[in-house]
Amino acid sequence: MSETVLRIPTLETERLRLRAPLASDFEAYADFRTGPRATFLGGPYTRAEAFDQLSALIGHWLLRGYGRWMVADRQSDRPLGVVGLYYPEDWLEPEIAWSVFDEAEGRGIAFEAACATRRHAYETLGWSTVVSLIDARNARSAALAERLGATREGVFHHPSLGAMDVWRHPAPGEAA
Amino acid sequence: MGHRDIPVLETQRLILAGPEPGDYPDFKATFASYRSRFMGGPLNAYETWMLYAAEIGHWEIRGFGMWVIHDRRTGQTYGMAGGWQPAMWPEPEIAWIIWPDVAGNGYALEATDRARRYFYEERGWDGAVSYIDPHNLPSIRLAERLGAKRDAQARTVDGNDVVYRHPAPAQLRNTQLADGIAMEIANYADPQFTPKGWALD
Repeated sequence: MSETVLRIPTLETERLRLRAPLASDFEAYADFRTGPRATFLGGPYTRAEAFDQLSALIGHWLLRGYGRWMVADRQSDRPLGVVGLYYPEDWLEPEIAWSVFDEAEGRGIAFEAACATRRHAYETLGWSTVVSLIDARNARSAALAERLGATREGVFHHPSLGAMDVWRHPAPGEAA
Repeated sequence: MGHRDIPVLETQRLILAGPEPGDYPDFKATFASYRSRFMGGPLNAYETWMLYAAEIGHWEIRGFGMWVIHDRRTGQTYGMAGGWQPAMWPEPEIAWIIWPDVAGNGYALEATDRARRYFYEERGWDGAVSYIDPHNLPSIRLAERLGAKRDAQARTVDGNDVVYRHPAPAQLRNTQLADGIAMEIANYADPQFTPKGWALD
């Protein structure tokens, strides 16, 4: 039996670095997960739950070979949100998931990170399709899905998290 | 960026290795069962998967974590043991869970003893605790067999657990306590095992 090695690639965009989540991201992440804006994500959660969720972001990479990054400011490395590919057990199919912390709201950061994620899924991982699952009350996220060219195709009922709209992204050749 | 190697530890009967995707079904079976009632379970499939992912990520966040316990000959998994300190834990914990169908073979004792020596000797820990549900009598017995003692003054996780404080590193260096643990482990590995000298207890 050999040592376990966790490897998480880094992507860079014009303003952002999509990198491995770190212990030092915990306070920013916990503020978000315990706050009112986590309502559409099954929250708000406790700090204890947020710690386990930050740990699980990392473990997802080992279990699936892909996962969600901590989106950081490319200059300062300040954590701004969590964006990437998400596919826990009991999920519909692999999705592009995004959430940005308060200070990053309204700056196109989720859009920029989601585009980089989708390119990674299509070009690096060779996926032919991908969805995003969004709480129907989350109008801002639905607007972003539309801006990304995704179309709503149905509803997924999750045993713990409830109903989520299924947004299908344009296929590789069709994506902007 | 972002990787931390999880070391492999060995004992007479066991190999402790980082949690891998292939070990997940055994973890899931235990956390879907009543066996997990003292570890926050039973959990549904989504919760179980997220907990398993968190067990892996804990290594990256804390620099230590839980190993999967394997039989060194067959590779079969028996449970998990190691270090655990999520957000609300006052101190680093030595924790364990054994799959229900392989309990009673001394695997938790052998694995936690090895993990504790690793943390003490190679990672510089000066002590550790175990947070145990007071109804979890097999785990309380194991803590006592490991030389841990109830610490009524120590902070608990949430008031529903009791704290067992492990012996400090010096109490496990060439002491009767350490010899006693080694002999108990040796006896599980070989029931015909005969210690040198006379048992004093």
